[in-house]
Amino acid sequence: MPETGGFMVAAYVAAAVIYLSYAAYLLGKSRQKKR
Amino acid sequence: MTPIESAERALRRSAVWILVSLLLLAGVYVRALVFTPAEMVQGLAQKIFYIHAPSAWVAFLAFGIVGVTSIVYLLLKDPRADLFAASSAEVGMVFTTEVLITGPIWGKTIWGTWWTWDARLTLTLFLWFVMLAYLVLRSAVHEPGQRARYSAVLGILGALLVPFIHVSVYLFRTLHPLPVVLKPGRPTLPGSMLVTLVCAFLTFTLFFGALLWHRYALARLTDARAHADAERADA
Repeated sequence: MPETGGFMVAAYVAAAVIYLSYAAYLLGKSRQKKR
Repeated sequence: MTPIESAERALRRSAVWILVSLLLLAGVYVRALVFTPAEMVQGLAQKIFYIHAPSAWVAFLAFGIVGVTSIVYLLLKDPRADLFAASSAEVGMVFTTEVLITGPIWGKTIWGTWWTWDARLTLTLFLWFVMLAYLVLRSAVHEPGQRARYSAVLGILGALLVPFIHVSVYLFRTLHPLPVVLKPGRPTLPGSMLVTLVCAFLTFTLFFGALLWHRYALARLTDARAHADAERADA
């Protein structure tokens, strides 16, 4: 089996960073608006 | 209940669903990384499939919604359809960005290159640019009716790319693999991998729904506040 674990980790980390950043941005923005 | 109260309630409820779907997303990560076997030819990089394919599905769903709600806006001139389309476009951009990042990482392992001007990859990049133009256009035009009309036309044109992207692997000679699930006939994937993929599809769809609901509620709240401020200024 080829050694491609590093690529898998990079993709999963990139996806997590994108989704968590957007969710945090959206929740933060709505918190500001509610005030 | 006033429009402001209704939007605030939707914000609270959708925030809960965002957190629930993030927990489920963590479950999908564990299932894919720990409990799903690796594919023999590609090795561990094949597991990128469990986040790449569901993100692509959600991106196409989001832009499909942009197309449909843009048509609804042009027919009915209902500002809610315009706000819903804009919300879906923004959330869709996030998922498309993920697709355009994880795709090349996967491509490097199986094709030996980060990027190739293959039909599906190129059309997906075009879709990303069209939707970026859609969001830039919305921030550049300040008159609400004009903004909604222009962006509805661009939204429909962008959404027209979606079916082409899906069938591009059949229409053109392409490096991108053929669909293994969203195709006529039975899925060609071993059982445990299929279960992981189905869980990922459901979770990503729920996550998209929660983000879209929240983004739309935020747009409604902004709109309702602006109306209330305008009424106060008139009085």
